Amino acid sequence: MFLRMIRGAFARQWKKMLIIALTIMLGTSLATAMINVMLDVGDKVNQELKTYGANITVLPKSASVMSDLYEMEGDAGDTGAYLLESEIGNVKTIFWAFNIVDFAPFIDTQISLQSGSEAKLVGTWFNHHLDLPTGESLDAGVNSLRSWWDLDEGEWINEQDADKDENVAMVGTVLAKREGISVGDVIHVEGPADGADLTVTGIFDAGGDEDEQIFAPLDLVQKVSDTDGYISSIEVSALTTPDNELAEKAAKDPGSLTIAQYELWYCTAYVSSICYQIQEAITDSVAAPVRQVAESEGAIMDKTELLMILITILSLIGSALGITNLVTASVMERSNEIGLFKAVGAKDSSISGLVLTEILVTGVVGAVVGYFLGFGFAQIIGHTVFNSSIEMKPFVIPIVAVLMLFVTLIGSIPAIRMLLRLDPAEVLHGR
Amino acid sequence: MSLLELKGISKIYGDLKALDNINLSVENGEWVAIMGPSGSGKSTMMNIIGCMDKPSKGEVLLDGVDIAKESAKNLTAIRRDKIGLIFQQFHLVNYLTAVENVMVAQYYHSIPDEKEAMEALARVGLAERARHLPSQLSGGEQQRVCIARALINHPEIVLADEPTGNLDEANENIVLDLFHQLHEEHTTLIVVTHDPEVAEVAQRTITLEHGRIKSDKINENFGK
Repeated sequence: MFLRMIRGAFARQWKKMLIIALTIMLGTSLATAMINVMLDVGDKVNQELKTYGANITVLPKSASVMSDLYEMEGDAGDTGAYLLESEIGNVKTIFWAFNIVDFAPFIDTQISLQSGSEAKLVGTWFNHHLDLPTGESLDAGVNSLRSWWDLDEGEWINEQDADKDENVAMVGTVLAKREGISVGDVIHVEGPADGADLTVTGIFDAGGDEDEQIFAPLDLVQKVSDTDGYISSIEVSALTTPDNELAEKAAKDPGSLTIAQYELWYCTAYVSSICYQIQEAITDSVAAPVRQVAESEGAIMDKTELLMILITILSLIGSALGITNLVTASVMERSNEIGLFKAVGAKDSSISGLVLTEILVTGVVGAVVGYFLGFGFAQIIGHTVFNSSIEMKPFVIPIVAVLMLFVTLIGSIPAIRMLLRLDPAEVLHGR
Repeated sequence: MSLLELKGISKIYGDLKALDNINLSVENGEWVAIMGPSGSGKSTMMNIIGCMDKPSKGEVLLDGVDIAKESAKNLTAIRRDKIGLIFQQFHLVNYLTAVENVMVAQYYHSIPDEKEAMEALARVGLAERARHLPSQLSGGEQQRVCIARALINHPEIVLADEPTGNLDEANENIVLDLFHQLHEEHTTLIVVTHDPEVAEVAQRTITLEHGRIKSDKINENFGK
């Protein structure tokens, strides 16, 4: 009988039920889209921001102290302190290894050019292939870490070219103009330990100090500067979680955390916990966030997420108000029927159950359609804003289901209260 | 002991006394017509007897239980178990068939039994129309469905509010014949009506005026 009554109510009120389903569908679709985008936006924004360079610098401990004392910019080259080249790969073995997007080692030395002028020669990886002890292999280097460099002429150094000439270099645009260097030229550099003839493969515009420098493969610069096996710094680009109070406290002193706080901090991709883990992995190193970049990333992500949360909340409130109006109108329209049920002895709970079942069945239909529609919206947002798809996260389904159940029930409360107050005598006799 | 006893009941809305110190007894199996002009308190009395309202003063004893003191929840249970309601407007659920409308009362009372509901419809002469929706039935047929629904749970009292008010003469006679049958089966009937012809066929007629009982007469021609 219950099913017959439900079926009858749907058949009779299908237009109203359709509008309720549409309201729930819209609310669900917006909530689904926003939650999916919100959960994916962190990675997307992070990846977007990673194109603007590294957010962690690793220096030798002594160089870091000097840097702090004298507020020196740059790397450790001048201090005579080094990191071990053999430990570079350890960056990818930390707990948050998966979040390390890119990294590159650096060593630099002052060299003299044929013209007699001096310049800085920087040794680094360009697209260095690395086989890790974990079995993973990857390509790392400035080709991706300095993706904003504008190549005026030539091309990036390709370390993986089988026929490669090891004596190659890329020259900053300012230095190239001053010295009249073009792509294909061979320039002689004289370092503290040795000299080398370098073929210029590209002229780049970095928009900063690097435009007056020469970039060459790490091995070559180590040879010229007699620093074989050493590097002066590592720049790391990592996907991070915005800092909160815990991260700030830990950044000051991880020892001040309780065991539970330490575990939570260590197992969250805060920039400070990643730095801490890098320090653990590389001997006598200090890893520090490039604070400006890290803070900007955090601020952008916080604001983006806040916006998404607000849109989700507003869409849910909108749905709840819509449901309230529609269900109340439905109950008013059915007041005779509900009055009759009460008159023949129906309990309040039975009638509420009947009306709620109708709304929930409608809600489930609306929510299922809304979920898939919302996932479509999320893809449109992903492709429009981030140029990539939004990953379907299965745990969004129960979140959206609970939210919509909550909204549907909250939205139905005024109608149910009205239904409970309905006096059968008033309805049936028009008293 | 009377099946129903009203002892000094009044119903007051602000300054208006819809019922004013009513005393009345209805015996088991009695057929009582309640007459009176509009505003005389007929519907108010029906609502109180039907457990859909409470008096401002007085006692309403149904089977010896003062229903004026019962909670809303208990009144619902009493209405479900002891009272059958027949309305002038029929109040059928328009998306349910005739038999389903009868089964609604069973559903909220105990367990729906389609066979029994069909028998109730057959008793009012509507077995052939059981699968029709209310919109496919005439006024008289709808009222008979309403009567079948009122009787399905074997109530102690059947309360009918203007049961023939919307019917033509032929259908009015069908309904009154049904009431005769019910009376012969010792069903207690309380019929509120404007219509003197409907009141005349009852065993007893009570006339209300301004919320008071103006007259309480036994119909001498009853059963003749």
